[in-house]
Amino acid sequence: MTAQAMTNVGTPVSESFEPKIVGFLCNWCSYAGADKAGSSQTPYPPNVAVIRVMCSGRVDPQFILDAFHKGADGVMILACHPGDCHYKEGNQRAVQRYRILLGLLEQFGIEKERCKFDYVSAGEGEKFVRVITEMVDTVKGLGPLTLPVRAY
Amino acid sequence: MKIGLYVCTCGTNITATVDAGKVIDELTAQFPESYAAQVEFICAAEGKEFLKDHLIANRPDRVVVAACSPREYESTFMQILAEAGINPYYLQMVNIREQVAWVTPDPAQATRKATTAIRAAMMRVRYQEPLEKIEQEANGDVLVIGAGPAGLQSALFLAEAGRKVVLVEKTPVIGGMPVLYEELFPTMECGPCLLEPFEAQVLHGDSAHNIELLLLSEVTGVTGYYGNFTATIKQAPRFVGTTCIGCGMCVEACPASAANEFNCGMDEKKAIAMPFLGALPNLPYIDPGSCLRSLGQDCQLCLDACPMPGAVDLEDPGRIVERKVGAIILAIGSKLYDCSKVNGLGYGEIPGVYTSLEFERLASSNGPTAGEIKIPGGSSPASVAIVHCVGSLDPQHQQYCSGICCEYAFKFNRVLEHKLPGTKIHHFYKEMVTAGKSDFVMYEHARKNPDAGFIRYREIEEIQISASASGQKIAYRREDNTVDSIATDMVILCPAMVGSGDAAKLGDMMDLTRGEAGFFDELNGRLHTAQSKVKGIYLAGTCQAPMDIAQATSQAMAAAGYVLSGLAAGKKLVIEPISAFVDEERCSGCRICGGVCPYKAITFKDDTHTSSVNALLCHGCGTCVAACPAGAIQGNHFTNKQILAEIEAILQ
Repeated sequence: MTAQAMTNVGTPVSESFEPKIVGFLCNWCSYAGADKAGSSQTPYPPNVAVIRVMCSGRVDPQFILDAFHKGADGVMILACHPGDCHYKEGNQRAVQRYRILLGLLEQFGIEKERCKFDYVSAGEGEKFVRVITEMVDTVKGLGPLTLPVRAY
Repeated sequence: MKIGLYVCTCGTNITATVDAGKVIDELTAQFPESYAAQVEFICAAEGKEFLKDHLIANRPDRVVVAACSPREYESTFMQILAEAGINPYYLQMVNIREQVAWVTPDPAQATRKATTAIRAAMMRVRYQEPLEKIEQEANGDVLVIGAGPAGLQSALFLAEAGRKVVLVEKTPVIGGMPVLYEELFPTMECGPCLLEPFEAQVLHGDSAHNIELLLLSEVTGVTGYYGNFTATIKQAPRFVGTTCIGCGMCVEACPASAANEFNCGMDEKKAIAMPFLGALPNLPYIDPGSCLRSLGQDCQLCLDACPMPGAVDLEDPGRIVERKVGAIILAIGSKLYDCSKVNGLGYGEIPGVYTSLEFERLASSNGPTAGEIKIPGGSSPASVAIVHCVGSLDPQHQQYCSGICCEYAFKFNRVLEHKLPGTKIHHFYKEMVTAGKSDFVMYEHARKNPDAGFIRYREIEEIQISASASGQKIAYRREDNTVDSIATDMVILCPAMVGSGDAAKLGDMMDLTRGEAGFFDELNGRLHTAQSKVKGIYLAGTCQAPMDIAQATSQAMAAAGYVLSGLAAGKKLVIEPISAFVDEERCSGCRICGGVCPYKAITFKDDTHTSSVNALLCHGCGTCVAACPAGAIQGNHFTNKQILAEIEAILQ
């Protein structure tokens, strides 16, 4: 049995399941993108709780693991587009760490779709709404995350 | 811990969907030592007044303001905390307008989302620490490297503002490359006419006392950081002192000569010589590479010929000096791409094939032919090919367009038209670029010249130049795929501009990165082209990118502007508290942090074998904090404890 299959055994996906998702947003682009979505008053699902960091490069992989450990069903890291980083290259570090982390998540039995990295610029309010909506849909589709480790 | 929670209703912007009363009830129940207040417009004058008075009356340990985006008002509320006698870094803002009320139409969902967000802030704010801005003294003096148009402009501008400038130039002369050009595009103004008055200002003008000019000098070491650099400068001996009256008797007496670098080696000059006619400062210098005495022979004919005692000093040892400055401006220029790397053009092999720089000197009245354009046999050319885009727009060589080559190619067209009327001119080009409000003039002249022709080629390899009895034969393929050939007497190659050889050395010394073509990387290609990636080191002119004199001198002013604004007189440097610091006890000395820092703010201390962050250079991005495998680096105001507290609160 694969780790992935083991994870969700006996966890029927409820229609009313509202996932808890933690979103790390960089201050300069993605957080501003979220504000743009707000200014245009475009509704989107309320499932993502935002943690503002100065740069996506600050997102320590342990934050992501900690979030899953404490009950998050999904985690998002939103960064400036490549070349746009306010700190020149923090977003590159972030995406490098993210790619490595994905392999680790699968070993823990966490589907990689539960951890999403994307680029949202300060002008992309619409993209922010789309990325959030898609992520909420994806995690709803996967159902709640149950980790064996939580039992201990 | 008493947290003061202030929830703004923003009129009805927030409370239309968020039930503020319910939020406050839930959170004050969870945080019983805290208090909460609802404010209608906390950003308005009355709201701010209320906040300040309320803070003074209640003296909370920490403050949370739930309102709009912190991007807009965080600094306003931080200021109010400071006015109320509370450390401003005890504030946490929660964005319940843009990121909750305006995007969550369902009131129950909006209220729940707001409660979660504020709870996270209240959990986080408990771990926030009082931070202070630190001020540091800075040196207002400036080191300018390179005395071409950009370096001279920066130096003069700063000197006029009363700044002490150390101007370092590696050659014995100032003025850079354009002072060697008889005429400049787009107005055919003469290079020396433009630059000599400017040079005179630097040497003898009203602000010259603020400029220490070090010629024949190279920077050999730089330590320190923004506001406090120490530069070591090695000055080679000139062997001629300032008592020299410039009579030239020594030059006449000198028996040795060698290839003249100022004329691209196309003629020779004496071992003691003026760099070129009209060179400033008006002093000869000895080239140790060709001076008989330097080569071990017992010659002192120059000294014997000199009418001024002490002007020639054959024992001049040169010197090494150290200068303390607050900022550095790099204006070291660029060079031409090596045309011998482009196959088929015959550069360096076929007589009569010149680079644009060599042609500039052939056309200059102080050049090797006194301004007469001659081919190797001594006659004037009747047919000249000007090849544009050599090594440019070409993945095999340099991919960019240098932007100035077409301009000077059309200038050459004018020069040939004037000096040798009736000369046939063939422009071979890949693309033609003459941007700018007045730069089309040269192009129009070339187009109207009945003796000029234009041939567009696709790839430079499709131009093959070979030697012929009378000059050169150029076989070529046009863009329409037809082939042809012409006979010429002279070929002028217009190569790409590339970074100078000194850029690598200086770049390594100062931790500056360079792109593939060798130009220094700027901080931002649109907003900060005159700022390098290292704080306090600025870029002016073609060491940053290919550009013309107008752009180079503008950038020089920009670089000087950074210095005048950042190191203003009487202003101290402020170290922002949102920075990283290393706990040396926990640092294992792995140096991973230094590798990821985008600002070169992390140095490794050899004595303790630990890394340390220079808070003055740190921008507070936190990339090193996330990278440290030992958890030895703390990111102020975004500590692990604070962020983990937020995560925990969100997932409660």
